Amino acid sequence: MRAHRTLILSVILALILAVPAAALAAKRLNIGGSTSVLPLAQKLATAYHQAFPKIPAPRVGGGQSDIGISGAASGQFDIGDSSRDPIPGVDPKGLFFTKIARDGVCVITNTSNPISNLSQESVEGIFTGKIRDWSQVPGAKVAGAIDLFDRDGASGTQDAFQHIFLGEAQKISTGATAETSNGLEQLHVEKDPQAVGFVSFAYTSGVNPVGYQGVACNLNNAKSGQYGGVRNFWMVTKGAPKGEALKFINWVTSGNKITKKIITSSWIAIH
Amino acid sequence: MATGAPPTRPRGAVRTDRRAERTLGALAAGVLVLVGLMVATVVISAWPSFSANGLSWFAPGGDVVAQFRAMHAGTPLPGHSLLYFRAWPLIWGTLLVTALAVAIALVISTLAAIFLAEFAPQPVRHLLEPVVRLLAGVPSVVYGLIGILALGPFVNNHLISEARRQSVAYVVQLDGADLATATVILAVMITPIMVALIAGALTSVPASWREGSVALGVNRWRTIVRVSLRTARPAIVAATVLATARALGEAIMLAMVSGGRPFAANPLDGITFLFEPVQPLGATIVQEFGGETTGPIASTIYAIAAVLLVSAALLSFAGWAAKQPLKRYGIGV
Repeated sequence: MRAHRTLILSVILALILAVPAAALAAKRLNIGGSTSVLPLAQKLATAYHQAFPKIPAPRVGGGQSDIGISGAASGQFDIGDSSRDPIPGVDPKGLFFTKIARDGVCVITNTSNPISNLSQESVEGIFTGKIRDWSQVPGAKVAGAIDLFDRDGASGTQDAFQHIFLGEAQKISTGATAETSNGLEQLHVEKDPQAVGFVSFAYTSGVNPVGYQGVACNLNNAKSGQYGGVRNFWMVTKGAPKGEALKFINWVTSGNKITKKIITSSWIAIH
Repeated sequence: MATGAPPTRPRGAVRTDRRAERTLGALAAGVLVLVGLMVATVVISAWPSFSANGLSWFAPGGDVVAQFRAMHAGTPLPGHSLLYFRAWPLIWGTLLVTALAVAIALVISTLAAIFLAEFAPQPVRHLLEPVVRLLAGVPSVVYGLIGILALGPFVNNHLISEARRQSVAYVVQLDGADLATATVILAVMITPIMVALIAGALTSVPASWREGSVALGVNRWRTIVRVSLRTARPAIVAATVLATARALGEAIMLAMVSGGRPFAANPLDGITFLFEPVQPLGATIVQEFGGETTGPIASTIYAIAAVLLVSAALLSFAGWAAKQPLKRYGIGV
């Protein structure tokens, strides 16, 4: 009889463990994807819960833009975050993209190499691998080989950088080190005096944001439209958003005081 | 009627026994089914990649980054299919990192195990044994963090000279995410397991054998080499195989420390070789998995996973085979 009892007990235990997890998953929104959108999504989720204490704060995770998009399609996320525009033919069918804000992409260097500006020509030369030494870059404060940092193919920031800074004809050098998140890119540039890379606005502390085409990379210039390196942030749902996801996205895009304050702190509000 | 009562208990007990046996048997069979399903999923998903490339999948040819980019963009490289993939730089990277790390770890762990088993005073042993066990249990992300925060920047800023950087600037970028850093951290990661296994085998060598040797006038060091180490040889092989399996499957730490550039480091470059980047197979999965569950990238990633699975299975078999001679001496590991 003891084995019997153990069996029943373990089944009950398993049920006890499984049921609340299932119940929670049903109520709590699961958001994930782009590490560029991540800091914004986290702030919005916290504020959403404060504004509506009865609704549990959405669970927000990182990944990559492509993980956000495919995660929304597969049901892994209720809302996927993407920092790249939808690509017809490549993205899974039946997805709905809601634009929530705009964000800047900065070229960054180490603080011991505080370049203030890079021309279009220099950016192209450095990132395509034609220029490999800082002595060939006007305004560089260090000498020696350039350590080039890229993001990997699933990154929305890389997609944005590619389209905005390089255009379709030129590709980022395959010799660059590809990082899997904004945070790792920032960290490597912070630790390496000869490094250069690119990150979302929110990841420029501890590194030197470089101006582009004569305009400093900062929020004011991006808001005024002078800074060219600006792209869209999206929340992606499978079909038009509904239920809890609709409530959250409606709140985010409603242009209310709270969301406006959060978005304008490091990003560009569009609603 | 006197015989009526006693049989009921045993029959009930037997039934319970049988039920427990069946439940456990079903669980065990469930594990087997799960493993089977997993292998089937990986192989089926990997098949398009293998069939499109044939045996050349394992061969060198072109730039892995360019191949992944082509799959990502959906535009095949000129003259090739979308699934075109040549994994040699990744395989070479895996072999290099694994072999070097295991070689370093083998020397260190054998010496450390001899110290632990033969020389260490009791208090020292009581302190070291839990420390070794703790080290063996440290998650690999922690080692990865140490790699990118401390060792990588140190190698980049102090060990790689500007002249060295310039000498290969048009071939590959040296930035501290490299073979040397990855190897050292991987060696540190696998050493504790090897120390624990080898020390265990050394302590289980029958004392009478060592005493016999000492009684014949052989000194302590020779006794260790000729009697203890020789007896424990199969355990050393088994420990090496286990450590190799762990090194081979390591992904997160290697992706953090040396990921991002699938370059085939060239031993002909001399010392510079150690500072060239490598991206082993496991790290490539971490690096390239962008959430795709179908399509060319997913198939390629599954193909990498299949190669890792087969290697792990072979190693596990080799580990079992290596342990067999120990049983002859009646020493279990």
